[in-house]
Amino acid sequence: MIPVVLLTFAIAPVAGWLVSRYPRAATVLAAWPALIATLVAAALWAADGARVVELSWVPSLALSLSFNLDAWGLLFALLISSIGALVVLFASGYLRDHPDAGRFYASLFLFMGAMLGVALSDNVLALFVFWELTGFASFLLIGFEHDREDARSAAVQALIVTGAGGLALLAAGVLLIDITGTASLSAMAANRPSIVAHPFYPAVAILTLLAAFTKSAQTPFHFWLPNAMAAPTPVSAYLHSATMVKAGVYLLARTAPMLGATTLWNTVVPIVGAATMILGAYRSIQETDLKRILAYSTVSALGLMTMLIGVGSGAAIAAMLAYLVAHALYKGALFLVAGVIDHETGSRDITRVTGLRRAMPLTAIAGGIAALSMAGVPLTAGFIAKDAAYESLTTGAGWAAWLLAAIVISSIAMGLAGLLSGVLPFQGQKADTDAHEPGARLLIPPLVLAVLSVVAGVAPWILNTPLTAAAGVILNRPEPVTLAVWHGVSPALMLSAVTLIAIGGSYVLRDAIRGRAWLPRAGTEQLYDGTVSAFDNISRVIGPPLHSASLRSYVMVIIVATAAAGFTALSTLPSLVVTAKTDIRIHEFLVVIVIIAGAIAATVAKSTMAAVLSLGVVGYGVAMTFLLYGAPDLAMTQFSVETLTVLIYVLVFRHFRNLGELSPALVRYRDLLIGAATGALIGTLVLSVSTADTAPRLREYFVEFAPTLAHGRNIVNVILVDFRAFDTLGEITVLTTAAIGVRALLRIANAGDDASPTPVSDRTSPIFKTGARLLMPLLLLFAVFLLWRGHDEPGGGFVGGLVAAAAFSLYLIAYGTEPARRALHVKPVTLLGAGLLIALLSGIPAVVRGQPFLTAQWIDHPFHAGTPVLFDVGVFLVVTGVMLMMIFSLAEES
Amino acid sequence: MKLLVLPILVPMSAAAIMLLAPRRQALHRWIGVAGAFALLASAIVVFDGVERNGIQVLQISGWQAPFGITLVADLLAALLLVAVGIVGVAVTAAAFGGVDPRRETFGYHPLIQILLMGVSGAFLTGDFFNLYVWFEVMLVASFVLMALHRNRAQLEAAYKYVTINLIASSIFLTALGLLYGVTGTLNMADVARVWPAVRSTGMDVVLAVLFVIAFSIKAGLFPLFFWLPASYHTPPAPVGAVFAGLLTKVGVYALIRIFTLLFQGGPAALSTMLLVMSAATMVIGLIAALREHDFRRILSFNLVGHIGYTTASLALMTPAALSGAVFYVLHHIVVITNLFLVSGVLLRLRRSTDLRKLGGLYRGQPAFSFLAMVPIFSLAGVPPLSGFLGKLAILEGTFDAGAFWLGGLVLFVGLLTLLSMGRMWAEAFWQPSAESDRGTPGRPLVLAISGLSLVTLAISAVAGPLLTITLRAARQLIQKDDYIRAVLGSIS
Amino acid sequence: MEVLLAVASGVLYMSGVYLMLRRRLAQLIIGLGLLSNGTNLLIFAAGGLTRAQPPVVPPGADQLVPPYADPVPQALVLTAIVIGFGLLAFSLVLAHRVHATAGTDDVDHVGRER
Repeated sequence: MIPVVLLTFAIAPVAGWLVSRYPRAATVLAAWPALIATLVAAALWAADGARVVELSWVPSLALSLSFNLDAWGLLFALLISSIGALVVLFASGYLRDHPDAGRFYASLFLFMGAMLGVALSDNVLALFVFWELTGFASFLLIGFEHDREDARSAAVQALIVTGAGGLALLAAGVLLIDITGTASLSAMAANRPSIVAHPFYPAVAILTLLAAFTKSAQTPFHFWLPNAMAAPTPVSAYLHSATMVKAGVYLLARTAPMLGATTLWNTVVPIVGAATMILGAYRSIQETDLKRILAYSTVSALGLMTMLIGVGSGAAIAAMLAYLVAHALYKGALFLVAGVIDHETGSRDITRVTGLRRAMPLTAIAGGIAALSMAGVPLTAGFIAKDAAYESLTTGAGWAAWLLAAIVISSIAMGLAGLLSGVLPFQGQKADTDAHEPGARLLIPPLVLAVLSVVAGVAPWILNTPLTAAAGVILNRPEPVTLAVWHGVSPALMLSAVTLIAIGGSYVLRDAIRGRAWLPRAGTEQLYDGTVSAFDNISRVIGPPLHSASLRSYVMVIIVATAAAGFTALSTLPSLVVTAKTDIRIHEFLVVIVIIAGAIAATVAKSTMAAVLSLGVVGYGVAMTFLLYGAPDLAMTQFSVETLTVLIYVLVFRHFRNLGELSPALVRYRDLLIGAATGALIGTLVLSVSTADTAPRLREYFVEFAPTLAHGRNIVNVILVDFRAFDTLGEITVLTTAAIGVRALLRIANAGDDASPTPVSDRTSPIFKTGARLLMPLLLLFAVFLLWRGHDEPGGGFVGGLVAAAAFSLYLIAYGTEPARRALHVKPVTLLGAGLLIALLSGIPAVVRGQPFLTAQWIDHPFHAGTPVLFDVGVFLVVTGVMLMMIFSLAEES
Repeated sequence: MKLLVLPILVPMSAAAIMLLAPRRQALHRWIGVAGAFALLASAIVVFDGVERNGIQVLQISGWQAPFGITLVADLLAALLLVAVGIVGVAVTAAAFGGVDPRRETFGYHPLIQILLMGVSGAFLTGDFFNLYVWFEVMLVASFVLMALHRNRAQLEAAYKYVTINLIASSIFLTALGLLYGVTGTLNMADVARVWPAVRSTGMDVVLAVLFVIAFSIKAGLFPLFFWLPASYHTPPAPVGAVFAGLLTKVGVYALIRIFTLLFQGGPAALSTMLLVMSAATMVIGLIAALREHDFRRILSFNLVGHIGYTTASLALMTPAALSGAVFYVLHHIVVITNLFLVSGVLLRLRRSTDLRKLGGLYRGQPAFSFLAMVPIFSLAGVPPLSGFLGKLAILEGTFDAGAFWLGGLVLFVGLLTLLSMGRMWAEAFWQPSAESDRGTPGRPLVLAISGLSLVTLAISAVAGPLLTITLRAARQLIQKDDYIRAVLGSIS
Repeated sequence: MEVLLAVASGVLYMSGVYLMLRRRLAQLIIGLGLLSNGTNLLIFAAGGLTRAQPPVVPPGADQLVPPYADPVPQALVLTAIVIGFGLLAFSLVLAHRVHATAGTDDVDHVGRER
């Protein structure tokens, strides 16, 4: 049977496609749930005990698709599949010409599969999976008529309310797994003592109750159900009366063996159930829309069942089961009849629809029987159920009397509601409408349900076997259920008689009763709406600052956070011992002064030029520092990079105005403070780290092996092109990308596309031109020289590339961009690609010889050369290309 | 393993080749896709090697660690590399239909390759400074991709993005300089080896704080995440997709690496800091998402919010929690990339991702809508899609670690996501609209989206074995001595 | 001398941060430039300062004899300088473009949703 159930999910998309292609095929689809129903019924009446079937899914999360074919699950499954078959049949008529019918059936079958999964699941997490899937399918189905605002908002509302409950179920499930060590519901049922005694029990119980109450629309979570009536009537009949909303009740009964019979359970559950029962009954008789009457009465019915589970005695459970069946039969019929009325007359308003019995006699019969069953007239299933319910409460503890009173009152109201929906539309004067008896597909399902109500009412012992088995599962002990039409005279019987009389009377006096508002109008829906709006409002408030505030605020937050965290961390240091290692020399002192002066100048400068030049001063000062501390390569690089930077700054910043201060003084002081704090933090850190000894392991290794194994005397260069060549590989990629970016930004600005650039003509003197023409090859030669000697002396690919770029830049200044480009013979981008490839390829010979990528390979004849030098050539080309790409783009930008 | 360098070399070669033939856009597209496939293939090979034989190591340039730069692939890195490959294929395929032709000529395709190169490098490197280099590669490529625009709003968004990320890089570099000064080494395993000595001096907290902040900015944690929703809604869809899918995850990866290698057993304040930031990110991100009008903004806030899940689980530092975090990262990469590609379709259909201009999509494009359901509701956590499994894994991890409040927060944020996505579905797909379609979804985009949706479904189907692997990965991460031993040969 | 360099780095960071918090685009970029220099100085100093010969083996010699400057921070700073240059150049041009399209160089008016 399980494969059949699971196959339903596969059928869903097929059904959808099928119906969208062949609309007539819809009727045939009813065969599938009918098949399932047959299989289930067979298993249920055979009553040969439970079986657990397991399909592993995610063992490490205790999630497996295990199914428990016990009587309770099978009973619920029978309900789902049999009513499902009837609903599909009904829908095939109801939605006959609907363009979206395919989508409808796909969602419906998805729902059906998920609902069966809920009924038959043994793994609590799998139960959640199916539970949420039913919620999702319900979302899709409620929003089926998605052009309507009320359908959309009802769909979202239901999704959230039941979704929240679902998440509660998930939490409860994980907790239960923690407590019992198993995810199997049947195993947990056997483990009751350890669960109930556990400190987590209240949390587990409350979470489970939340899940059940939200799904079964119990107070205070009931409001979504009436709104869900925006769904097409087949959906309302199926999901929101017969199956999905019963899932909460199902869950309560399923978990009763392990969570029930405690003070918490026995207090909360009956109270909530009773309150819901009364509330629902009251509201149902106030409504005028057929579906809303039925919706609220469903709420009440669910409350009744909840209440009975809460009472928990054998008789109460038996009554609940009987009621489950009876309610499914009559409510389903009534919903379908309402659908027929809507379909034929276009209205669901009971004040407008009257006198239909002539037009649709068979429908009237179905409606009438169902209404009588709902009222609890003898020889209907409803009577059996009500009788059993009364019976269970007349023999009970003191407070059972209150519950009994509640149930009687709500039964009266429910009976009235039933008559209002099943009898009233057919009685009275014929309204002005051309309604007629619907076709077979719309007529058969409600008739079948009505007939079954009578059958069960006349021969209730048919249900004894399955109900007994189900009750046994719920109570975890044998509990024979014997339903009979006549129990003998008992208080219950008297109450039934009283109820019936009251119903009759209230029907006669219906207008007076319904006119008065007996209870206050407030609802919990406002609470839900209020909560959601609260979140929305918070969102509206915090949203914009999070993405549209000024850049400065973000920068400030980050810097302040860093500084604060840094200082906090610093304060945890046990001690800060600082002993300077080197003394202070005058020229170094002066260099530092220059740096500091430059920094301050850059800060207070009023013109961009002054600021840029000060920055240059700072950069040169830093370069000097490098030189003073034994880093010539570094100094060279810093000098050249700083010069280039200043150049680019100057070229770009000529568009910027001066740097007058825009912020008020207070803000300036605040920023100064932040800056000072950061500076102090950094200064302290630098001091502490620079004066502490750094482990010499790395430098000693490099110093030892650079001249020997790596064949290079300039150790820094050897590190860059050999030991840590991978860093340099990334570095040239960064350069390449930056150059591409600069070019793109400038080109897009000008032409908007990559058309030919505007050449810059030359305007320089002939002397300059001649000088440039002479100087360029010399510079290039010097560049190559630097490249070649880099491995052994300060120099290298980077500096060489810079000089090469300088050579062409000189030519550019003298002759203009076009000649310079021609002199280059290739596009800068080609240099980039070639450089990257060469650098990359220099690492391949190693791989060919079975060594890691970029391992240096050296040859000694005909001359001493190695792949690191090739790598440096790649760097050279990239740097040249990068600089030239930037310079050409900047030059052509004006 | 010699092939360990392939995930970096392949995209680099592709980019270089493209640069040598700069005008052949059609060729670029195909090279891009080929490169992405090759990257995916090499990632799968690496994963297979790691899964079978344990942590794989390659000493680049042939110098032993800690003197040369080491590439290290543990299960986490290998899994992430496969995800990079998948995203790469999807994005390069989508580029066939989702990129402005004018942008292409300015280097879009090589830039994507360079970005993939940077991400792969970041996941594979075993050296802190090298990590910085790959971060910069990745970042500068993203800068340029972000800035390839003409109009003001996009340039300004790019500007915010660039500035804040540059600051983050400065903080990272500062921390690096101090790290070398304190430890004398840059190799991750070596730093881990000498870290106890650093801890005894007390400097570890300062360094830790700087690293955590730098990485948290990149990962998108509160209160440092403003750059993300401020900028992620502007670039073209495939670019946004690869940003959302990969860039923040590198930050998360870096956090995982330093927390597992260095901060285990250290001061609790660090984990607490991460935990608090993560929780705040989760809540604030999702609440802010509720009332956004733009689809991509909603996605951006969801992106940061869900990142909070993973970093919070990281802070718990138990195998179950960490396993959940790793699984969630993988799921998230696929889903969020997919969703940004979906936004690309929305742009093609309506020239806008503003929800007020969408609507009626279900009616107009039923097949596409059905397809889009997969990533949208997977993000929302609807079972049996990958999002649900990820949340379950994280939930069980939090309960297992005793952090019940965090578990509750996870569920609450999940509910908010459900609300956000449900509403979004109702507004964009269901609600009728006066707007009409001004284009078609385009086959490349739909193909990419279908592919990624299939991956999401596949993750659900093979969740069992996948979670076994992530659990192994988590154990491997917590058992850091194995990492040290694999790289250095011994732990002393 | 470490003190002086620590002060220098501190001042560079301070002025860099201060400028980055100012309202003009140009100041932000210059601030980044100062910060970048400060970081480079930090890395250089953190490795320890030696007023010794550069780490280049003299011609003819087999090995470098201490004291010598630590080559590792030098290599790191070199890479950082180059990378920083690339980033800075790009940021400059980006700032320029933003200024051109936004028509203002007031950072507060950049990126405000209209």
